[in-house]
Amino acid sequence: MQIFAKLSFRSKINLGVIAVILIFGIVLAFLVSRVVATAMSGEIKKRGMNLSMNLAGRATNSILALDFLRLKNMADEVVESSDDIAYAFIQDVRGQVLSHTFKSGFPSELQDANPIPPGASSHIQLLDAKDELIYDFALPVKVGENRLGTVRVGLSRAKAEAAVRGLLLTIFGVSAGVALVAVAMGTLFASTVTRRLNVLRQSAEEMIKGNLFLHISPRLQRNCWEIRDCKNEQCPAYGDTRRRCWNLPGTLCPECREGSYEDKLSACKDCLVHQINVGDEIQSLAESFEVMAMTLDAHIQELEEAKKNLIRQQQLLKTILDVNPDLVSLQDENLVYQAVNPAFSQFCGLTEQEILGKTEVPLFPPEEAGEHQLENLQLLKTGGYQSKEVLVGKDGEKRWLHMVKVPVYDEDRITGILMAARDITEIKQYQEKLIQSLKMEQLGKLAGGVAHEINTPLCVILGYAQMLLEDLPQDTESYEFLQLIEKQAQICRRIVGDLLSFSRHIESRMEEMDLNRSITEVLDLVRHSFKQDWIDIAPSLAPDLPAIIGDKERLQQVWLNLLNNAVDSIGQDGGIWISTRLDPQSRRVQVTVADNGAGIAPENLKKIFDPFFTTKAPGGGTGLGLSVSFGIIQDHLGTITALSPAPSEFLEETGRDKTPPRPGSVFVVELPVSREKSAADTFTELSPETPPVVDQTMV
Amino acid sequence: MARWRLLACLAFACFFLTGCGDDEPVKKIDLSKREEITVIKPPAAVTYAYLPQYSHTVSYQRHHLLVEYLSQATGLTIRQVFPDTFDEHMNMVGRGEIDISFSNPFVYVQIAGRYGARAFARIVEGEGEINFRGQVICRADNPQIKTAKDLKGKRLIAVDAYSAGGYLYPWAWLLEQGLRKKDFQEIAFAPGPGGKQEKVVMAVYSGKYDLGLIRERTLGILADKIDLKQIRVLAHSRWYPGWVYAVRRGLDPAVLAKIKDALLALDMKKPDQRRILEKAGFTGILPAADADYEAVRRLAEAVESRG
Repeated sequence: MQIFAKLSFRSKINLGVIAVILIFGIVLAFLVSRVVATAMSGEIKKRGMNLSMNLAGRATNSILALDFLRLKNMADEVVESSDDIAYAFIQDVRGQVLSHTFKSGFPSELQDANPIPPGASSHIQLLDAKDELIYDFALPVKVGENRLGTVRVGLSRAKAEAAVRGLLLTIFGVSAGVALVAVAMGTLFASTVTRRLNVLRQSAEEMIKGNLFLHISPRLQRNCWEIRDCKNEQCPAYGDTRRRCWNLPGTLCPECREGSYEDKLSACKDCLVHQINVGDEIQSLAESFEVMAMTLDAHIQELEEAKKNLIRQQQLLKTILDVNPDLVSLQDENLVYQAVNPAFSQFCGLTEQEILGKTEVPLFPPEEAGEHQLENLQLLKTGGYQSKEVLVGKDGEKRWLHMVKVPVYDEDRITGILMAARDITEIKQYQEKLIQSLKMEQLGKLAGGVAHEINTPLCVILGYAQMLLEDLPQDTESYEFLQLIEKQAQICRRIVGDLLSFSRHIESRMEEMDLNRSITEVLDLVRHSFKQDWIDIAPSLAPDLPAIIGDKERLQQVWLNLLNNAVDSIGQDGGIWISTRLDPQSRRVQVTVADNGAGIAPENLKKIFDPFFTTKAPGGGTGLGLSVSFGIIQDHLGTITALSPAPSEFLEETGRDKTPPRPGSVFVVELPVSREKSAADTFTELSPETPPVVDQTMV
Repeated sequence: MARWRLLACLAFACFFLTGCGDDEPVKKIDLSKREEITVIKPPAAVTYAYLPQYSHTVSYQRHHLLVEYLSQATGLTIRQVFPDTFDEHMNMVGRGEIDISFSNPFVYVQIAGRYGARAFARIVEGEGEINFRGQVICRADNPQIKTAKDLKGKRLIAVDAYSAGGYLYPWAWLLEQGLRKKDFQEIAFAPGPGGKQEKVVMAVYSGKYDLGLIRERTLGILADKIDLKQIRVLAHSRWYPGWVYAVRRGLDPAVLAKIKDALLALDMKKPDQRRILEKAGFTGILPAADADYEAVRRLAEAVESRG
């Protein structure tokens, strides 16, 4: 059966036709042969009986007369009358053979082979004489009721069988001939069908390969515009030799009907063009196939266009989501994550695949997850909106997030929750710094007010103390006491001065000045004393610095503060590197003061510009130096930044440094050349590997 | 499943087709075993022959009961024999192959004359008729034959040259009418063997011959075969003696006596013998002598001499 299924269509048709004809032939042959055999057998019997009756009738007189010659002649005549009469003989009433037609002797077994049963008028017995079957007819010779003898005639069945065989041969021959003709016609028919089916199959294969530009339908002898003598070039069928007009929408013949394909086709069936050009079912199939391919092609092109659009939009959306620094996630109604953006994945420290399909429970710490779930369930229930700021993360990496959660609706049903969270840690820091600045400002105002009020009595105290010193002899106890008063009053005055400076109660004198020179003057002042502690100063001042607008004395106070801090950080044996340079783009000059001292602890880095913050021993410093410097630089519209440990490019070998390398620190001061606001008056990164940076620009 | 169904159908068809074979019983026989057939000669018997004026079958049907009766009555073995022609009958009497001859008077006078046969009995027919006569017949619709004169130039058929009723007796009538053999266009005799009387009637009936000479009572035999209205009896001959039993010369007189007694003993009144007589076509048998047939002998001579 599988073999039959694999056969070609043509072979199947041929096999089917042959099978039908052969079965028909065989059945017919058998039936006919049976009928003919029966009929022949009946005819043989009838003929045999006739011959026997005839012989019996004629033999009566001869038997009575015992005329053996005539009996012999009669028997011979019977045998000679036909080929199939095997023998004839006549017996007397005792069974004695009176005459027979056998040439040499009489077959002894034949004499009693066919007795007539009592009461029967005749008897026919089929004899098997080895090489042939013989019907033996026995008929009594009677005169009235008196039986004179018996005539026996043998008729061979061979002739009848030969006739049946001949008939069978004829039927088989005719069947074979018909089968051949049928095969030829079947082949012709099947090849007509299969050729066209093959074209269809090849076309289908082409379609599978993606080639939709098929040409299956045969070219028409007369196209629709030729049949109708049409000149309407607007009609879509005009000039289209590939497609049939009834398959095209929007044709413009008056009879053409718009609407569904079925409507149009029903109208087209009465059209002359359709009647002339319509083919059989296979051709219609081919035409439909071609139209289908063309339609499919158009649809595929539309789909591809749509796909491109979709991909573009998808990419846009993905880009938006991917690039978006905000954390975005979408959870379904079971709070399973359906989509997250890279920022979210990065925040969780997992890949997108690890997150998708899970709820919060395995992703976040139990408390956090529980809290989220409660909120989310509430949202799903109420359909409300949530916006909050949360502090998340472990110690040391805590981040502030502004989290917004909105329910996602599908028609009237909530199908999920969209969460967007923005990292507002920096904003928070800025807020804290702003608060700190405000606090400092208030503190400065308070300190300045206090200092201003103290300054006058202090000047009186100092003036009178100095006057008394001039009057008193130097070796008295009183003189010593006065000296002590004056010294402490001086200290107070310096503190007051610092406080005034911090609270900007001192008037600045802004004028054009040489930055390098201000630095050089300070260096000249301190170099000698630094050397005593084995501290080298290595200046690297850019020679082409433009003059800047600034208060030279106050800036020199900044440099002095920074250098003093560096010396305090180094202690003994170390180096200080001071450099200047111009950033032509931003029109700002940069001053860096680097040391290879102990550096600043990270937790202190944020606080070093706070007033009264000091790491020195009590009495070692007021904690106002850096905050005063900060204020001065701010007055100059500049920035001051501290880095620790110091990046290596700021440190150079001093040759004297035998101590193991220490972190060191760098203070970077940027000052505008002019006091007008420049475009680049913003924070600029120093290096990609910048360690924790404190940017005070905003302050 | 469908495959099995198909196979079942084919098997059924084969069964059906093979079931059509003939189922006649066949007897095996060996035709090669041969033997020579020799006809066993019939045992010696008294032979009885009936002049073949009819076919052997009719002769047999008419006389075989009588022959059986004679065998039983005499205790002799008597066998009926069937000569084909009148001539043969006479010759067989001459050769001694027929012991008892039952013939017409014309043949009797011949065998008596030639071979010394002697009459010993004669039959009685009908209502005691011991004589019989012949007839001249033609087709009833033959317009040319009205009187005896019209017979001239016609075609004539008779039973046999040795027939009494079917030739000799009616020919005597023709002679009396002044007609001679030469006056007829054709004179023919019915072909043998047997059934000659009927053949004459049939020849006239069919129109092949214009005139026929037959024994009286012949037409009655053909009553159920032809339409007798188509046949016209032109004339009857004179009455002459009827059929005669004769014995050949040389038969044992004791045998003859037994047979004669048995024949004469037949009585219509005895039912079994009546059946024998009726079958034979006569009602009784009387003794006869050669002298009873003198008239016939003379008639024969007259016909031969006048032609």
